[in-house]
Amino acid sequence: MADPELKQKVEELIAEHPVLLFMKGVPEQPMCGFSMRAVGVLEQLGVEYGAIDVLPALQPLREVTAEISDWQTFPQLYVNGELVGGSDIMEEMLASGELAGMLDVEQPAEPESPEASRIVPGGPQQSPPMRLE
Amino acid sequence: MADLAELKGMIETALPGADVEVIDEGGGDHLRAVVTAPQFEGLRRLDQHRLVRNAVRERFEDGSIHALSIKTSVPG
Repeated sequence: MADPELKQKVEELIAEHPVLLFMKGVPEQPMCGFSMRAVGVLEQLGVEYGAIDVLPALQPLREVTAEISDWQTFPQLYVNGELVGGSDIMEEMLASGELAGMLDVEQPAEPESPEASRIVPGGPQQSPPMRLE
Repeated sequence: MADLAELKGMIETALPGADVEVIDEGGGDHLRAVVTAPQFEGLRRLDQHRLVRNAVRERFEDGSIHALSIKTSVPG
């Protein structure tokens, strides 16, 4: 059973942020390859997004997202309150143009492959990474 | 360590008729599943991935898999 307070907090965050990424680590320093790829996708699109580091409460957060979205692994991208998916879905949707469309931004000229994409320091504006207490 | 053949079997059981490949991308717990199945027709990616993930849910829950990359497609 997911912690009700944590679940409520997560639901609030999802509702507050049009683009919200649950990830391991922070955008400047992702702690797993999939999270790094997810950040890379958002950086290529140049969108502002909120980032939540799940590592401080990994298992409780897995339980919460399992209940909210039937999805228990991270990273997870939420757009306008709905789960889009993890990094592989994000990469496919970046390549197809769907993600740019969903976020109402220009499709990058040459979406980079995961190997080529890098985190660029001082990239697009983003909310400060949030930690859940 | 996850058993690749077992995972393939679990997905094939959940999705009869599917073409399934499960590859170890390194370390035994970073896996890739490539699945082509008629059951995916009309489903958005999220739901296609959910079908695959649900098929191997036990192995997520017991920690055999930490990460699973999934690539889905519809036949033809």
